[in-house]
Amino acid sequence: MNGSFCNAGAAACAAALCLLTGIALAADPQLCAACHGPEGNSVIPANPSLAGQPEQSISIQLFQFREGNRKDPQMTPIAANLSNKEMNELAAYFSKQKAAAPSHKTAPENAAAGPKLAQQFNCVQCHGPALRGQQHIPRLAGQQYDYLLAQLRKFKAQKRADLDGNMTSATEPLTDKDIEILIDYVAGLSPQ
Amino acid sequence: MSFCKALAAAFLAMFATAALAQQAPSAPPSWQQGRDAQQASSPLHPFAPHMTGRASKDLPLDKLKVPAGFKVEVWADGIAEARSLALGDKGTVFVSNRLAKDVYAVVDRNGQREVKTVLKGLNAPNGVVFNKGTLYVAERDRITRYDGIEDNLDSPPAAKVVVDGLDPQNQPGHFWKFLAMGPDGKLYYNVGAPGNIVMPSYFQATISRVDPKSGVVETYAQGVRNSVGFDWHPQTKQLWFTEHGRDWLGDDSPSDELNVVKTKGQHFGYPYCHQGDTLDPEFGKHRSCSEFTPPALKLGAHVAPLGIRFYTGKMFPAEYQGNIFMARHGSWNRTTKQGYDVVRVTFDADGKPKLQPFLEGFLTDEKADPPMWGRPVDVLQMKDGSLLVSDDYNGIIYRVSYAKK
Repeated sequence: MNGSFCNAGAAACAAALCLLTGIALAADPQLCAACHGPEGNSVIPANPSLAGQPEQSISIQLFQFREGNRKDPQMTPIAANLSNKEMNELAAYFSKQKAAAPSHKTAPENAAAGPKLAQQFNCVQCHGPALRGQQHIPRLAGQQYDYLLAQLRKFKAQKRADLDGNMTSATEPLTDKDIEILIDYVAGLSPQ
Repeated sequence: MSFCKALAAAFLAMFATAALAQQAPSAPPSWQQGRDAQQASSPLHPFAPHMTGRASKDLPLDKLKVPAGFKVEVWADGIAEARSLALGDKGTVFVSNRLAKDVYAVVDRNGQREVKTVLKGLNAPNGVVFNKGTLYVAERDRITRYDGIEDNLDSPPAAKVVVDGLDPQNQPGHFWKFLAMGPDGKLYYNVGAPGNIVMPSYFQATISRVDPKSGVVETYAQGVRNSVGFDWHPQTKQLWFTEHGRDWLGDDSPSDELNVVKTKGQHFGYPYCHQGDTLDPEFGKHRSCSEFTPPALKLGAHVAPLGIRFYTGKMFPAEYQGNIFMARHGSWNRTTKQGYDVVRVTFDADGKPKLQPFLEGFLTDEKADPPMWGRPVDVLQMKDGSLLVSDDYNGIIYRVSYAKK
């Protein structure tokens, strides 16, 4: 499987990508596929799918990585070499790819509880009624379960960059159980 | 009970946060503060800029409209989140930003604009002003100076601190500062209210000034929720400033303001009284608007007026002399959007100000989300009398010129 390479060792993956980004490249989206999957549909639980994400949500996260506001051993060195124009091109490309149906299956009890929590904790207010994102706000529906879980926990621990403080605030009242239900629910939603 | 659950969660969160960082739990984002219960599920939200900028060729520039005889064109693009503008003695245009960390310099070489990143790693460097060879920058918590920078754009001097400690509480909202040089040689800057509608501390919700020679700070105007644009009248030398009214009081209330300071220390009403005649439902109890200085002009609710400049150039027709140009970033806290333009403020024989359209077309669908494709932030009069307009949503600077007939 394409993805197992990256999954096997972050160091190996980062090294390969350093090699790739070392070449004077015109931001080739195929190079992102090693970790983010073909056409940006991730097959690695820890890595997010980019396919069909709102364009601005992709470019703004690349910007956050390059500026050091958001840190990741793999993404930081990659973003460091990207120009604004390249970030825009990558964002445009991935936003136009079709998001694949999620492999995650929501537990029946969470399919019932999830929508209530998404309302109660104002997820839908920014991410939209079907949690498909808008403008600079990413789509959650059908995103990788492990990735979403890690991000929400990081927001709650105030360890993830937050452009405007919204996510840090939104995760404050969440219990561990709330987080598990919410993520189980949104990861199983249809992306379109 | 959900109340108990919430309380328990709050307690846990407090405990966890205190253990981690020795700090109180974060409040709601400042833009949400002040909503009532019905508004908790409101779809209204602020708009984030395209931090990587957008190419002007991808934008509907043909929608831009200026009065007859005027022309608008893209002057420079690729300037991420272009905010405040300052003009160097030798023609360099310095450009700030709010969410990034840089200051840019745009140099005109025979009609070709070169964009250089001259300062890096700053903390919300929204305010820039140039005076007598020195660039001053207002960051979140300090004002610094860079002497002789225009001759050293490729190896800028180290920052010298004029004043620091301007954000001791790391305030959640309105932490970005506008900066201008007064006719008295002092630097003027805003310290915004920390939230939408809250009781400010003694130095918040003010326009303050600092003497760059001594570092002494004074409060110049009080009760100013947040001002991100001011300039001095060319004859009276009085300070005029724009001010954003509070949010979540409805589509049409309160109006944003254009104010003038006639006496140092005047109070403009926040948080007690809005638009000179409307008491705040919470803080206005047992108060009267007559205690406070009313605005010189109401600008419309939520239009978000930012940079202003009095026009003193030679290019535009004579009736533009002494007019104010004002960039309006546009409303978000309103179901039908308005603003997103540059307006002209004219004065009648009695000095009474009046709004007139000048540069329009960024707002394309007042009901859409987003409703616009660009957002004016600041205006700058160039030596030839043309006017630059910054747009942080796209990272573009436009130039408006007038062709004599």
